[in-house]
Amino acid sequence: MQRSLAIAIFVISFAIIASIFAIPRVSLERDKLHQKEGIGLVMPSQVAQIIALEFKGLFADAVFSRAMTYYGGKLIRGEKTTEEEWDWIYRNMDTATDLDPYFLDPYYFGATNLAWGTNKVKEANLLLEKAFKYRDWDWTIPFYLGFNYFYFLQDNEKAAFYLMESAKRGTSSSLIPILAARLAYQGKRTENAIIFLQEIIRKTDDEAIKKAYETRLNALKGILFLERAAAVYQERFKKQPGNLDDLTAKNVIREIPKDPYGGKFYIDKDGSIKTTSELR
Amino acid sequence: MTAVWSVALITFKEGIKNRVIFGIFIIALLLFAATTVVITLFMRDIVKVAVDLSLSTVSFAGLLTLLFIGVNLFGKDLDKRTIYMVISRPISRSEYLVGKFLGIVILALTVVVFLGLISAVPVILSKRFYYYPEARFDWTIYFIAVIYIFIKLAVVSAVITLFASFTSNSFIALVLSLVVYFIGQSTESVRLLLTSQVERIEVSPVLSYMVDIAYYIFPNISAFDLKTQAAHGLSISPSYILWTMLYAVFYIVIALSIGALAFRRREFP
Repeated sequence: MQRSLAIAIFVISFAIIASIFAIPRVSLERDKLHQKEGIGLVMPSQVAQIIALEFKGLFADAVFSRAMTYYGGKLIRGEKTTEEEWDWIYRNMDTATDLDPYFLDPYYFGATNLAWGTNKVKEANLLLEKAFKYRDWDWTIPFYLGFNYFYFLQDNEKAAFYLMESAKRGTSSSLIPILAARLAYQGKRTENAIIFLQEIIRKTDDEAIKKAYETRLNALKGILFLERAAAVYQERFKKQPGNLDDLTAKNVIREIPKDPYGGKFYIDKDGSIKTTSELR
Repeated sequence: MTAVWSVALITFKEGIKNRVIFGIFIIALLLFAATTVVITLFMRDIVKVAVDLSLSTVSFAGLLTLLFIGVNLFGKDLDKRTIYMVISRPISRSEYLVGKFLGIVILALTVVVFLGLISAVPVILSKRFYYYPEARFDWTIYFIAVIYIFIKLAVVSAVITLFASFTSNSFIALVLSLVVYFIGQSTESVRLLLTSQVERIEVSPVLSYMVDIAYYIFPNISAFDLKTQAAHGLSISPSYILWTMLYAVFYIVIALSIGALAFRRREFP
């Protein structure tokens, strides 16, 4: 009895010590294995949706966090993310958001990193457009979209559209409506900008902010007035007016409206109405 | 009715005394504890991740209870031959079956109520930890989702009852119930996959028919999964609640009636 107890204690303590030695070796070998493993495959979302059963949300969390930690690991080690890996990250975010289309993190992570970390603005916008469809209460999504269109793609018209949507969703920032209106104007959508600002003014309680909006609204109204006058001139005389004084000289309009920002309206080379104040 | 009730009560007592249920509770509590650690790894939608984990844990624990305890509660009477004692009493076989079903459902209800209430703790902690202003969360919808976990478990219990009524041992009943659970969770996704990809991939009409038939035969368990709605505070319409509840009730009635018919004709070894 005594002897068997001693043997048992010896065997157990030997096994414990041996396993303590083995654990770091195992993690070392695992690391080597992981390095070889690389990014691996992304499960197509149709398949993932079926095998995730009722745990689609959890599955989405797992797919997202796997890609995020992989990218984070590369970032910490100071390694450059390859084109192939970016593609993998995008597809992971796509699958995660197919499993749970309302999940913000993959949209946010994908949209910011794909646009800024590499030149994958198209993919970033695809993700954001999906988010725009599902997260229909979240003003930040169209805001990011608008920014990407404005900054990376120089598409002011689309940028204005998304910023307007962002403002409609009740953003707390008073700058977004002004920005949207400004982009809309530059994208030759003066009428939209006016309607948009009128809508925003209606919803604004703060008098100071209201005043700022109204100034811009008046400026845009002046521009719209002149744009229409230029169009009438074009129809009547079959040529573009050289400058705004042509409009008053030929009696298309009585007088040129004043720019509430203190600048002067003029006709640019491409025929669009601009102002020396640049609406600032 | 008293006969049904006493069978239900005995079944429930037998189930709650089972040691496996403590194991399941410990697993669930560990998963709740893990939730509070896991959420720190995420960026903004932290409450959503906490809700996912909490509700999945409740659902998972409920399923384990049904599959490991519920199935055995049927088998025991047959394996240990105690069924002879029961059927010699003034109780019809259908009453016995319904009683067993009710006992398992009460067991599932206990698990869901207990774990459902505890599951709110990680969610509260996650809300305190970080709540993204554009996130949406609503306790009403959260607890509707918890109730729906119970409804799902009730439907699975009915399926277990059906299989237990005619299979000769509890392992076969377990496997069949698991298969029905898997099919019930995925028919909707498979149907969606088939209809959405018609233009790209040629799907044989036989396959489509088979999936359609499966959709009508097997319970659509994914209809009772409101975890996404709870995680994002998406509203659930009253008509959704009405129709899914009706569906659940009728499915249970159908499964139990067929089970009772099979059980009545059954000969015991």
